[in-house]
Parts: sequence; C-alpha cells; structure tokens
Amino acid sequence: MSVNFGYTISLPRAVDLDRNDFSVALRVLRRLPELESCIGCGGCTATCTAGAFTEFNFRRVQTLVRRGEYGGAYREMNKCMLCGKCRLVCPRGINTRAVVMTIKRELGTGY
Amino acid sequence: MKNHKVIVVGGGAAGLQAAATLKELGVEPLIIEREMQTGGKVRRWHRLFPDFTSASEVLATLEKNAEGIETLCGVMVDSIDATGVTLAGGRHIKADAMVVATGFDLFRAELKEEYGYGIYDNVYTSADIEDMLNGDGVRLKDGSAPGRVAFLHCVGSRDEKVGQPHCSRLCCITAVKQAMELRESFPDAEIYNYYMDIRMFGAGYEEMYRSAQEDGEVRFVRGRISEASPTIDGRVQIKAEDTLLGRPVKMTVDMLVLAVGMTAAESNGRLGVGLQSGGFIAPRDLFTGAVYSPDAENIFYAGCATAPKNIGETLNEATAAAVKAAEFLLEK
Amino acid sequence: MDGFLRYYDHFVLPFTVGMLVLFTVIIYKYVRWFVRMPKEDRRLVARGIFTKKTAQATGEVACEALGHRKIWRVNPTLGYMHMSLALGWFLLIVVGWIEATVHFSGELTAPHTHVFFKFFGPTSHPTMTGKFINFMMDFLLLFVLSGVALAWFKRLRSKALGMRRTTRHTLWDRVAMTALWMIFPVRLVAESAASGIDGSQSFLTGAIGRWMVDEFGIAQVFNISAVAWWVYSLVLGAFFLAMPFSRYMHIFTEIPLIFMRRYGVRSGERASSFDHFQIEACSQCGVCIDPCQLQADAGINHVQSAYYLRDRRYNRLRREVAENCLMCGRCEAKCPVGIESNTLRLNSRSRLNDQPAEGRYEYLRGVDGSCGEGRTGYFAGCMTMLTPATLSAMEKVFAAAGEDVWWADRNGGACCGRPLRLLGEIAAAQRMTDHNVELILRQGVTILVVSCPICLRAFRGEPRLADIEILHHSQYILRLVEQGRILMSSDTMSYVYHDPCELGRGCGIYDEPREVLRRLGTLAEVSQNREHAFCCGGSLANAEIDSTQQDAIARTLMAQFAATDARVIVTACPLCKKMLARHSSRARVADISEVAAARAVAAATP
Repeated sequence: MSVNFGYTISLPRAVDLDRNDFSVALRVLRRLPELESCIGCGGCTATCTAGAFTEFNFRRVQTLVRRGEYGGAYREMNKCMLCGKCRLVCPRGINTRAVVMTIKRELGTGY
Repeated sequence: MKNHKVIVVGGGAAGLQAAATLKELGVEPLIIEREMQTGGKVRRWHRLFPDFTSASEVLATLEKNAEGIETLCGVMVDSIDATGVTLAGGRHIKADAMVVATGFDLFRAELKEEYGYGIYDNVYTSADIEDMLNGDGVRLKDGSAPGRVAFLHCVGSRDEKVGQPHCSRLCCITAVKQAMELRESFPDAEIYNYYMDIRMFGAGYEEMYRSAQEDGEVRFVRGRISEASPTIDGRVQIKAEDTLLGRPVKMTVDMLVLAVGMTAAESNGRLGVGLQSGGFIAPRDLFTGAVYSPDAENIFYAGCATAPKNIGETLNEATAAAVKAAEFLLEK
Repeated sequence: MDGFLRYYDHFVLPFTVGMLVLFTVIIYKYVRWFVRMPKEDRRLVARGIFTKKTAQATGEVACEALGHRKIWRVNPTLGYMHMSLALGWFLLIVVGWIEATVHFSGELTAPHTHVFFKFFGPTSHPTMTGKFINFMMDFLLLFVLSGVALAWFKRLRSKALGMRRTTRHTLWDRVAMTALWMIFPVRLVAESAASGIDGSQSFLTGAIGRWMVDEFGIAQVFNISAVAWWVYSLVLGAFFLAMPFSRYMHIFTEIPLIFMRRYGVRSGERASSFDHFQIEACSQCGVCIDPCQLQADAGINHVQSAYYLRDRRYNRLRREVAENCLMCGRCEAKCPVGIESNTLRLNSRSRLNDQPAEGRYEYLRGVDGSCGEGRTGYFAGCMTMLTPATLSAMEKVFAAAGEDVWWADRNGGACCGRPLRLLGEIAAAQRMTDHNVELILRQGVTILVVSCPICLRAFRGEPRLADIEILHHSQYILRLVEQGRILMSSDTMSYVYHDPCELGRGCGIYDEPREVLRRLGTLAEVSQNREHAFCCGGSLANAEIDSTQQDAIARTLMAQFAATDARVIVTACPLCKKMLARHSSRARVADISEVAAARAVAAATP
C-alpha cells in the first residue's frame, strides 16, 4: 500500500511550455513587440487605478498571456479602466493600453 | 599662451589621472575644469563601494600625483577639434593632442516628478545622502533621525520615459553601500531597497549585497516604486508592487532615497565629437579602440564621457588614454 | 418634334442618362439616410425648418458650398480654385438657364436644351441683353477654366498651393475627376466651334471660333463641332454617373448637412444615419492632411480624416485607421466643411470596441476616496497623481484663498471614464462616469475644480452635473486673482504656454491660462497656438502609436518652444507636462498651477 502524505496535487500547477498554445501570445506580440521587453518591475500594477480596489494585476495577466495561459485573462483585463497611468510609468515604454485592448480583442470570445 | 602638448578636458578622476600619467611620461599637460575646483564627482562622495574607502583619500592621491600641473578652473570648454579646444567665449587654445574626460551628469530626479523630489520634504537623491554624510550626518528635514528609509533603484536608468535607456551600473551598489552606512548610523532603522533587477557586477559588489542582506538587515523588495505621496505628518507614502508576491505594497517611510543614474553630460552635445544614441561620446569601438576618437587621431577618451564606469575602470582608462596620447606625440 | 423635345440631337443622350442616374441616386440616398435618422434628429429638422435657421443655412450654403470661404482662409489660391469651380459652374448654369429661357421665351424644354444652348440656340445675339449674356457666359467659362488650370497645376505641384500632401483617390474619384477636368476644355472647343459656325462676336468662344474657321475652313469646323458636342455630352454624362459614387458627392451633400447642422443635428458617440451626411460631405480636399502630426512626425499617412472618411464611406474601414488618431482636433479646426471627424471616429470605435458592461467594475461599489468638507470640490484625476507638483500647488492655492475643499479623489478614485470612451468602450465608460457623478452629487458641491483636462471634458459633458460649475484649475486661479482672494506678484520671468488639446480645442479654454501668465511675467506665443496648437503626442485617444512615435511628435512641439527663448514652458495638463518634461533640455516645464502658486499669497484680510 502506497503511503499518501497528502501532497497530491489535484490540478496541474506547472505552466506547461511544451503543451501551451502560443497562437494568441504570438499575435499579441506581433502587434506589440515591445511587450516582450517587460522586465516585470511591477510599476504598472503599483500605479494601477483599478488595482487600488481589486486584485487586477496587469503585469501578471499579460505575462500569463505571453506564456500561453489565457484562462481568465479576458475577465481580468476587463477590470482595467484604461486610464493610462501604467503607460506613463512603464520604464520600457510599453503601450500598455494597446496591450489591454489587444488581449481583450484576441480573447473576447471563448475565454 | 604657449602651444600645449596635451589638453585634458575635465579635472575629475579621469582627468587628474590622465594628466598625472602624461606628466610621468614627460609630457606637460593642461587641465581645463569647468568647476572652480578639480576632483569632479568624487569630491562630493563620502566613502566608496565596495569597501568604504574614503573618497577624499582617493582624491588626495589623485591630486598629489597631478601636483604642479597647469590647471584652468572655472573654464568651460565649448568645442574640440583636431587643432585644439575652443573655450566658451570663443578663445581657442592649440594643442597637439586632447584627452576628453568630461565625465557624466547626475540624473535630474525632478524629471521623475511622481517621486516628489523637490516637492516633498524627505525625498533625497543618493548624491544628497553623500552630502549629508560629508556634513553632519543623515537627518530628516526637521533634523531628526529617520526610523524607516526606502531606497529606490534605477531612477533615471533603464527608463525610456526619461530618455535614459541604459543601465548606469553603479546605482545598485551605491544604494546598497548607502543602506549599510545608514545602518551604521541608525542601528534600529528599518531600511528597504526597492529594485527591479539587482546588478552587482564588480569585484566585491555581490559580497557587499549579501552582507547588506545578512548583516545589515537591509530588506530588498523586488518592485519599482510607481509614485510617492506626502502624508500629513511629513512622511512619504510609496506605492510599488511586490512582484515576488504579485501584490501591491503600500509603505510609509520617513525618508525616500532615489538612486539616481548617470546620464551623458549635457555639454557633450556641444563638443563637436560623435555621440552615441544616448548622448555619451562614441569611441572608435568598444574593444581595442575604447580610448580612441573616430573623429580625429589626436583626440582620446577617458572615463564616464563614453559610458558609466566605476572609479577603478575610469582610472585605468585614463592611464591608457594618457599613454596613447603620449605615444601619438612621440610618433608625430 | 414639338414641345419638350423640340430641340434634340443624339449626342444629348449620355448627358441625359448621366443626369437621370445622378438625381435618382442622390434622392434615393438622401431619403434613405433621412428616414433612418433617429426620431429626435428628424424632429429637430421639423422644428427648425420654419425658423430663421433656414435663412441662416441658406446664407451659409452660399458662403461655403459656392464661395468656399473657409478654404480661402486656409489658402487664398486654393480658395480661388474651389470657388472658381463651384461658383463659376453654378453661375454658368444659372446664366445659361436665363439665356435659354429668354431665347425660347419661357417655352418648356428638356434640360439639355439649356446645357447645350450654344448648339440648339443661335450663339450670336444682336440685342444688348444678348450681348451681355454672351459676354457673361464667356467670362464665366474663363473663370471656371482658370480653376481647372489651377487644379491641374495642383496635381503637379501641390506645394505651390500651400498643401504639402494631397489626397490619394479611389477609382470612382479618378473617373469623375478626369471627366471633370475635361468638361470645360471640351465645352470651350464645342462652343467655339458653334460660335465659329454662327459668326458670334463674343470675346472668348467667338474669337476662337473665328480663328478656327480661318485656320481649318468652315467644313472642318462643322466636323469639329459634331465631335466636340458628343465628347462634351459624354464627359458630362460620365461625371454625373460617377459623381454619386465619388468624392464629388460632397457638392450636393454639403447642402443638407449645413441645413441639418443649423437645426441642431449632430453625430454622436454611437453611429447614426446622420453620419452619412457628414461622411459624404467630405470632398477629400486634403486640408486635414498637413495639420496631422501623425503624418508630419510619425510618417503615418493612411489614417488622416480624409482617408478615414473615405474608407468608412466605402465600407472598408480597417480598425487601425479608425483607432490610429490622436483626436487632437487640429484637422477638425481646419476642415472647410466642418465635419465632426473626431465624433465620427469615436462612433466607429464604439462599433468596434463597445460591449455590454454589466458586471464590470462591480468593485467600485462603495469606493469613496474623498476627504475634507467644503462647497468647492477638487478632482485631481489619475494622471495628476503622477504630477504631484500640481497637487501641492493646488493645496497652496486653496489655502491662500481660504477655501474649504472637498478632495474628491485624495485617497484614490475611479477614472473619469473618458479614456475608455475615447477607445470606444462607451458602456464601460458610462459606469465610471456614473460612479463619479454619484460621488460628486452626494457631496453637494457648487464648484468642482478639475486639474486634468480629460476629466474636465468628461464632467462638462455630463448633464447630471449641469448645476455644478466645473472649472479647470487655470480658470479657478484666475477667478481667485480677479476676485482679489489671492494676490500674485509679477516679475520679468518669460513664459510660453502650450494649449492641451482637451483643454483648448476640447473645452475652448485658451485665454484664462494666458491671463494668469500675463499677470506673472511676460508671455511668448508660438505660431501654432490656440486652436492650431500641436498635440504633445501623449493623447489617450491613441493606443496605436508606440513611444518612439510619441516622442517624435513631442520633439516637434518642443522645437517650437525652444525657439522662443522662454525660460518656462507652461502647460495645464498632466499628460502634456509629462511629455514635454522629458524632451526639454534648457527650459523648465511646469503646470500653470505651479507657477501661479509659487507667486500666490493670501490677500490681506481687511
């Protein structure tokens, strides 16, 4: 009898870069190549007007999309108010509002 | 005025070292310095990373070696060409060779208005901290000791939004050094470093970083502060994302220190030599031609005029530029 | 043949067919567009039609559709070119109709009889009236021909007419344009030949006719005449046929547009049938291309209003064309037809991006980051959080004035909604607006001071806030000074002012910030100011261009200011300030509130 120490993982937690579908990510990046230059400083999330009231995290959501993890991304991006503060603070000059719009457009149905 | 063999433009660490080397090699140089005193940025610094060497000791050595060298202080160089230098006001001084050691400017922290430098009390730059260390020690605006300090890395470095895409390389280690100095002064203070990447490339730097974490109890939060705001009691509230947690952080500190980057000297644009896209002077190449100018064979470059460098690198480069300038005169 | 078709020749057929198609299509289009207009809009028309607005509209039609007054203002040569074509042709028709009516003594004849009068009627008139009409017709023809010559010249050398770029055209446009260019030269040949045959004495066609007879002999001139009248009719027919499908549709469409505009009909943030009248009133003249900074600084030359309207008209509008626009309004300010291209673009965007917003922004429920008590409210806006110098300046101003202030978003607030609206998310934007309106109304303020021109515009357009006076901080500061509540000292400091798009063209606030600066020191002006001011490039209406392109736009703007030698570049918008500050080397960049607050002191209490 095998001993189960209670460490069973019910859901696959790993981001499976072997299996993930990158088609949406590639389309987003083709439109906005500078998004790949994100260094994850978190400035966007820190300054986020919506982030002050809800758990919306732009840095995290767009990173997930770039990794081919699209689940919930559309719903999350819909929390954005498009106020544009993040674009002003982004040290990489990323057109963050276009990232939001593009991801929403790509994932508008089905996710 | 006699025809100088070599003019050294700039009397900071690089300029002094280049001039001293030239003198050693038997060439009489002329130093032209825009400030009223030689010594450049090193004069403003208190102690140097990574081992807390006193900046004034280093400067004293540099000045001793350069003793007796003709120096024009408070004189601005307007432009440089193969025949010599033209001073602001139009006077031309002929020379057989030039060493350009014009250094760098500190990033104007006012441009990152969101951090409130010059607007709120108790937001300082790393240079201000050195001034205080050289004076009566680090104090808040009201003269009291800070209980909680946050350092912010990359202010005016790696930032497209202020036209400074390059990494200044030394602000990380400077912030760590200053954090440790503050720890020394204020054993009970809480000291935080907000960073986006920690870049510890020099000998002894990584060790100093680790020592700050372990021995100095300096906390490092991976996240760039997006903005600061004043509180009613004169403190500073900062906003960042702790990117390792994926959650926004809010923190009220007594003092916010902005680790300002090194930007290309604004005067570079007037010199009449080729520049890189970021405004630093362009050397012939980055490998075997680092001290040569592509514009004229008798112009040589040393120090931070071409890119951010630490003092050791700067002095080595100054020596190399001086030797090459002397060689050029010999071959002529 | 008698009566209506008494004067007939086969060559009139192409003209007649073209004309019938033209009027059928135009009437079909106008009726269709009109009946599909929202009921309120049609009611506006019905209510306005028997008022003095109709007379005003008639006057405007004469000034604009015929005289092209607004193009004259942009460039007199270009104005003359358009006027000679429009007014000249119009008068040719009117005078020609009078000529024919006089000649046929009011007999009812087919339209072609007037148009080809020189063929059907005798070309020489012995009477004084006849001679005068003959002279007029020649004179008008020459007038139109001068315009055609300029149009040819413009195609070759557009710069000479003050336009660096001209519009690129569709196939229909090319057909119509080629036909149009041929109409009058061919008419000259046809009428000259007819005059030669008839022995007319008129100064232009008569003279050429006599020369033709002398040169080629009367028999040849008969042949020339036969061919020329056919060609004339053919090019007229071709023009009329192509016209309703080409940009020349504007010739007629500007007229109903002018009338409906006078009656108060406007385009809105959702597309409506009225938009057709605006879209097809665009003549593609291209006056909007040169002012476009995307074209001048970022090398983007397929999105300008002329192209946008054209693409939308032909149902081939791509998302990027609708969305790649700063909506700065520089082109709108110059449009000779007064087309609301920004509003039209907005409704294209809402068609692309608007979606039901139920359930969105639920997290805003109960959010209230306000503090303080007072009848005066202050709304900083998201962007102002990144320019805290403005915040502390306003704090100082309020304190100096002794004003009790309710800080609407001191501890964070929702966005005003306009950024969403500008990208077409109307329903979502409405939720933001609702949130803020409720917050503001709950407080019961009488004045709301706003620091961000984007928020200002959002709140000014909100009917529920109509009872609250909504001021930009520059207006508020000027008022405090004028009321003597704060004192400002002046010195010799030199300023230059940058008009933010949303504050200037958007809200019409040009003078108050300047008045504040004049009270502080000397004020320099740049040539592109007020309604022609450049955009800083940071516009939230554009989510297409990258930061390199934004920077290119900002650099052009800064070069202008640098040339003035002013020590401080002042603006009144946090976004503009951010864009300007990073491109300024010598001059300081400041918000109007900072420079004012630095010199403001409380007025001594009596």
